Amino acid sequence: MNQMRNKTTRFLKGSLILLSIFCISVFSFLAFYMNKRNEETITEVGTIYMSGISEQISLHFQTAMGLRMAQLEALTATIPPAGDVDAAAIRSTLAFNAEARGFDHLAFFSSDGTFDMVYGDPVQLYHPEPFLDSLNRNENKISVGTDSSGNRIVLIGISTNYPMADGKECTALVAGLPIEYISTTLSLDKKNAMMYSHIIRKDGTFVVRSSDEYRNTYFDRIRSLFRELDSDNAERYVSELETAMAAQKDYSNVILAGDERRHIYCTPLAYSEWYLVTVMPYGSLDEIVNHLGRQWIGLSLGSCLLVLLVLLLIFAKYFSLTRQQIHELETAREEAVRATKAKSEFLSNMSHDIRTPMNAIVGMTAIATANINNPQQVQNCLKKITLSSRHLLGLINDILDMSKIESGKMTLNSDQISLREVMDSIVSIVQPQVKAKHQKFDVFIHDISTENVCCDSVRLNQVLLNFLSNAIKFTPEGGCIQVSLYEEPSPKGDSHIRIHIEVADTGIGMSPEFTRKIFDSFSREDTARVRKMEGTGLGMAITKHIVDAMGGTIQVESQPGKGSRFHVVLDLERSSMEEADMILPNWNMLVVDDDMQLCESTVASLQSIGVKAEWALSGEAAVEMIDNRHSRHTDYHVILLDWKLPGMDGIQTARKIRKHLGNDVPILLISAYDWSEIEDKARDAGISGFLSKPLFKSTLFHGLKQFAGSENKAKEPQEELQDSFDEKRILLAEDNELNWEIAQELLGELGLELDHAENGQICVDRFRQSPVNFYDAIIMDIRMPVMNGYEAARMIRSLDRADADIPIIAMTADAFSEDIKRCLECGMNAHVAKPIDIREVSRLLKKYLK
Amino acid sequence: MNLKECYAALEGDYEDVIARLRSERLVQKFVLKFLNDPSFDLLNHSLENADYEEAFRAAHTIKGICQNLSFTRLYQSSHLLTEALRNGWSPEAAQLVPKVAADYQQTITAIQTLQEKMG
Repeated sequence: MNQMRNKTTRFLKGSLILLSIFCISVFSFLAFYMNKRNEETITEVGTIYMSGISEQISLHFQTAMGLRMAQLEALTATIPPAGDVDAAAIRSTLAFNAEARGFDHLAFFSSDGTFDMVYGDPVQLYHPEPFLDSLNRNENKISVGTDSSGNRIVLIGISTNYPMADGKECTALVAGLPIEYISTTLSLDKKNAMMYSHIIRKDGTFVVRSSDEYRNTYFDRIRSLFRELDSDNAERYVSELETAMAAQKDYSNVILAGDERRHIYCTPLAYSEWYLVTVMPYGSLDEIVNHLGRQWIGLSLGSCLLVLLVLLLIFAKYFSLTRQQIHELETAREEAVRATKAKSEFLSNMSHDIRTPMNAIVGMTAIATANINNPQQVQNCLKKITLSSRHLLGLINDILDMSKIESGKMTLNSDQISLREVMDSIVSIVQPQVKAKHQKFDVFIHDISTENVCCDSVRLNQVLLNFLSNAIKFTPEGGCIQVSLYEEPSPKGDSHIRIHIEVADTGIGMSPEFTRKIFDSFSREDTARVRKMEGTGLGMAITKHIVDAMGGTIQVESQPGKGSRFHVVLDLERSSMEEADMILPNWNMLVVDDDMQLCESTVASLQSIGVKAEWALSGEAAVEMIDNRHSRHTDYHVILLDWKLPGMDGIQTARKIRKHLGNDVPILLISAYDWSEIEDKARDAGISGFLSKPLFKSTLFHGLKQFAGSENKAKEPQEELQDSFDEKRILLAEDNELNWEIAQELLGELGLELDHAENGQICVDRFRQSPVNFYDAIIMDIRMPVMNGYEAARMIRSLDRADADIPIIAMTADAFSEDIKRCLECGMNAHVAKPIDIREVSRLLKKYLK
Repeated sequence: MNLKECYAALEGDYEDVIARLRSERLVQKFVLKFLNDPSFDLLNHSLENADYEEAFRAAHTIKGICQNLSFTRLYQSSHLLTEALRNGWSPEAAQLVPKVAADYQQTITAIQTLQEKMG
């Protein structure tokens, strides 16, 4: 179980960790990937943006320069170089017009590369060759030069043939503008712009540099930026840039300068050997993107954490649920194990207890076989076999009872019983054993007002017998056993009565440990004294179950060596049966017993049936009281004498009383013992009759009634039975002739017409052959030859007839609840026990006949 | 010997039977018929043949008749025998059969005496 729990725990923990790792990796990957993608996207966007901007700038450059060239061309168009106009006039016109258009310088450019200034400072070219080449090829070109004070100037040349000062023809007209013109026109100088641009030549030298630049070539700038870093990188960039420039292609790249990323875009410019380099530092952009990235990572981590938290919660909940389940499972398992253990203990105990007598039987049978010619030996063996088999049978009966109880199949009958009869029968059963062990046996009945109660008499007997037989078994010879019975109002209300039964003995008693488990199955105190006693150890368990089923309680008090006391409390329903009017004549009586309690309760019982009574505790006192009365001529009408009295016993006392009073007064002997042995002696002593303890009201009434002569006759229920069932026809199945005749006689009086069926088969046949609704009811004996009542009822119910539901009343000598249940299961409507009680039968018939 | 004395001799409950059947003549008629009842012979016969099911039924019938006629003593022993035979043969039955036989004999003797007295 622990292993399983550990396994589950390990699995849960493992999967939690795995899931966490998985979660973290997925989210980290997402964050990382998205960051990367961000950068790439930025670069892409940057490239698009930069190319757009660069194009625009170069277009702008083209337009601006184109415009200036157009101005120059217009100039040359209005002032044709050839003709009759003299050179000086041309020069002044050109100068005037050029100045008006904002040019700072104007010069004629000879084919050998010298300037003939029309106006403005003389200028010099930085790189005259390509400029001259292009102009000589009749192309327009732009280049950069300086004036005399070293200011950089943009030179715009267009091919034309004006006469120069030296008389030669020039190859081009060149106009100069300050270099700032380009940067201003192209807004290259704008501060705080996100990007800045340079214009460079093929060899990397600057044409226009942004204001903070001081180096000579752009390539130096790149190299110096990377100086502290990896110079290989710088060279790579430079060579890449040079290659792109040589191929007249656009070049776009992101370079890393320190912490900063810069985007470089290079594009060639028109009309010149120049290239526009636009640089955009990613600083601010990166910051925004990084911020977004950080936000994104934070968000990812947050969601990851949230997911983990939820996972943790789910796992924790699941874990606790699992633990709970495991715990429950464990409890159930423990219970099952305990039950199994109890069962196997029961089984092993039972087997052991069964084996002992079985061994005796087997062994004795072997001995008897070996000594088959020795009748005495065989007889001895048979006797022992009989004893053992009886013990075995008792054991098996107990086990069957127990298993019935344990499987919950025990049912309780609710009979109307008389406590008097129950006690009477118990006393008569245990008397022989008590006598055999010379034990003192007393029964006390205290003020029982309700004799008739509803209870399962068989089970109640079983309980009492079990207590008593234990008491007898465990009480040594000469010991004392006492049964008390008293009542009190029941908490269940007036319809019930609480009965207390106490069985006390002066036997060997029980240890407190054993007292606690006495009601467990197969428990017997394991001491040397007890081991020699026979018994199954189930009796008390069965008793307990029965009392529990009756809703009662058992209490045990016991002390080893002193004795035990069992106290049963039952709440029994008062019987609805009317107690007959038990009234005796207005006698005076004397009760003599050495037990004052018994005297008092007997006197009380006598008063309740209309008799005045006095009591005495000894024979001597009784004789004195009788003499007193006699002298006053108010003799007692009846005297009750206990047999066992201290001093003078009952018989001696009776003899004395007879001597004083003569034979007129009835003297009755009361005793809990069988009086058959002393009967003759008692009759001789003048005893008129016997009353057996316990002295219930009804015992007293029925015992004394005979002495009341014809004065009082119990009312017999003669004049009832007005019910008549004229014309009703009953089919009565009963195999016994005599029982049939009695039934016929009794039921005939009710006006019923009866048909006889000798067994179940005949009954079914008769019914089948009769016209529909011919019979009004069937009364069915159960135990019949050929076909019993159960089967017959079942067959009748299964017939295909309109009256197959005819009322069927079972009538049998069995009155166990199992039988009744079976009757009803077989489709019978009701059950009535034998002997035939005409009132009960008539009540049932009235209920079921239409 | 009258019917009441006969009941005393066979240890039955005279008052009970009179209370139920309400006619001494009727009771007497049934009591005399008991002499011809075959149940006891059936019981003996089936016990001899070890047909315990039939024996159970016979004992049961005797018990039923005794209940109807309030033959208390014979009822008690036959009742015990019935229970002992309910689930087939049992050691108790062995002890109870002679007891039932004795009680049956006592009952029959009492009834026969009554029959003779009446002529």
